[in-house]
Amino acid sequence: MALLWLAPALLLILGVVVWPAVELVRASLARFSITGLNKGSAGLDNYRNVLANESLGTVLANTVVWVVAVVALTILISLGLAQFLTKDFWGRRFVRWAVIVPWAASLVITARLFSLIYSYYYGTLNAVLLKLHLVHTPVDFLGNDRWIMPSMVAVGVFVSIPFTAYVFVAGLNAIPTDVYEAARIDGASPWKIWRLITLPLLRPAILVATVLNMIYVFNSFPIIYTLNESNPGFAHDTTITFMYKLAFKSAEKDVGQSAAAGLFNVCLILVAVLVYLRVSRWREEES
Amino acid sequence: MSSKRHLPATGLLAGTTAVVLGLAACSGGTGAGSAGGGGGGGSSATKGATTIKLVAAEYSKNHTKAFWDQFAQAYKSKTGNTLQVQIVSWDDIDQQSSTMVQNNNPPDILNLNAYASYAKDGLLYSADEVLSDTVKSDLLDAFVKSGSYQGKMYGMPDLSSARAMFYNKTLFQKAGISAPPKTWAEFQADATKIAGLGNGAIGYGLPLGPEESQGEFSIWMFNNGGDWKKDGKWTINSPENVETLTFLKSLATKKLTQNNPGKTNRQDAFDLFASGKVGMVVGFSPLAGKLDADKKVQYGVAPMPTKADGGTPQTFGVTDYLMAFKKKGNQDAVKAFYDLYYQKDQVNSFIKAEGFLPVTKSGIQEFSGDPKLKTYLETLPNAHLTPTDDPTWDKVKLAVQQNLGTAITGDPKAVLDKLQKSAEAGG
Repeated sequence: MALLWLAPALLLILGVVVWPAVELVRASLARFSITGLNKGSAGLDNYRNVLANESLGTVLANTVVWVVAVVALTILISLGLAQFLTKDFWGRRFVRWAVIVPWAASLVITARLFSLIYSYYYGTLNAVLLKLHLVHTPVDFLGNDRWIMPSMVAVGVFVSIPFTAYVFVAGLNAIPTDVYEAARIDGASPWKIWRLITLPLLRPAILVATVLNMIYVFNSFPIIYTLNESNPGFAHDTTITFMYKLAFKSAEKDVGQSAAAGLFNVCLILVAVLVYLRVSRWREEES
Repeated sequence: MSSKRHLPATGLLAGTTAVVLGLAACSGGTGAGSAGGGGGGGSSATKGATTIKLVAAEYSKNHTKAFWDQFAQAYKSKTGNTLQVQIVSWDDIDQQSSTMVQNNNPPDILNLNAYASYAKDGLLYSADEVLSDTVKSDLLDAFVKSGSYQGKMYGMPDLSSARAMFYNKTLFQKAGISAPPKTWAEFQADATKIAGLGNGAIGYGLPLGPEESQGEFSIWMFNNGGDWKKDGKWTINSPENVETLTFLKSLATKKLTQNNPGKTNRQDAFDLFASGKVGMVVGFSPLAGKLDADKKVQYGVAPMPTKADGGTPQTFGVTDYLMAFKKKGNQDAVKAFYDLYYQKDQVNSFIKAEGFLPVTKSGIQEFSGDPKLKTYLETLPNAHLTPTDDPTWDKVKLAVQQNLGTAITGDPKAVLDKLQKSAEAGG
């Protein structure tokens, strides 16, 4: 009887999680022609080839920079923004809606929009910078090797802030006001109140926001793929776009290698999340 | 491109696999046919009538779907068979076709810019099986050759294009240039004059970004006597080719091109030319169509300049393919498809609407009345193509797209040496 009630959920899990996972493992063990034709078993060759790829180091380094920079900046900015959004002020409702917009828009469209904003010849950003005499020649945000990653990180932060800020707004609202009152009566300074009351009580929210953001940002595809579109090679790819290019765009054009890279990705993010949770809990025990 | 959001519910695994397996849900085609595509092509509804499926690339939003829908109707009324049409954008078609083959569910007809790997995998009908003699003898020889793998034709051309040098007449006049350049030396001198006009003028629009760098490099190397392959051997790093790429790099170093040509895609270069900033660019007839519609840029079309003084200009030809997958019971329906497609009023009206060039001898005759196409049509039968008949090229092409642009900041010879090595190793 119980099984009858569980069946829909189980079927869903089987279809959406287990089946693709099994297919992914199977694909990673098979040898594929460039056309996609399965030519039998490849053993562990696909895994070996991914590990032997000469761009793997660059790609991994890019991924670390991308995830750490986007998540750290997002958390920092969102903390400030959430404080602001919980204050009572005229037009707060409007501001709250405005903050949600980047989240509501499709990532592909946002990314396209930014590739226009960043454009060397037609971009609004360069037009503004030139008008303000901050630069003398346009900045090649999406072509100059030094600028590509920061430009992409800025967009990543922009689209991650809404979700994160709202998690913090919810967290802040959950802190009882009498704790603050007591602190104020005891004469604590605003900075002390924030550091010793707000921050510790917001801890669960920060933990959740960080873990979810790590996963989302790590798996983010459209921003990097779109903004990095005109750059040859893997110099600015993360593991996710690397995996896509392995399957469809690069000289490898190999679904099997891409599947192997996909499994590495899953392991990578799982390990990263576990490490993060470990470290943050360890601090909790110590404090 | 598909919309893989990085927020919310999609599980970690599901998200990852969706990218790898390219699940159909991510990026559905915009076509008319029933999207499921499950049933398999060969299933007969009524005895004698067959349903086949076409997956076609979207050349333009306005014309491609309209043509194929009308074609499916004509096909139905002529043969009684049903043609399901699925139109897929160029961005997605590699991914979609690969997924279909992976799932053992290919369409009956696939429209793509490559075919040799499919022929090599034994998935396709050859022309002997599905093309009638009258059709085959009408195809231009250059395309029969490029469509043949190991002596048999598998890649049936749907349309073609040829490249030529587009130049901005207004900028030429301002710079005091009377005629388009015939040699590389003249070309460089002209580009220098235009770049010297200032005010953001760009001598030459050079796209070596990943979109189609093999095309840009092809036409320059052909005009220096170079080629990708000669007498069955890869010649990617031949002295002429190194010289050609070094020349292109020197244009960038001398600031005669737009900013960062190694990271500029073809479309970006076309857009710059259409904005009137660029003196010269290698273009093809769809670019002419856009420029004519905009009426903003006064342009002329000329043959490519050659390295040698008094050389014969070479044009770079491109053709896409309609290939037929071997499936049980679909051979007659597929043959009927080709018979209808290559009728003059079908194939030529498709090509005309999309602004490309014909693939048949009768098509050349029909198009020869158009003075705008004169430059292209004269060169088309002798057009120089990339080695699409070699399955290795399918991989080499991707390697070129992903690496050639790095020569602008790096060492052209090293880049070509590496490409040569990977081509010799079979891609």
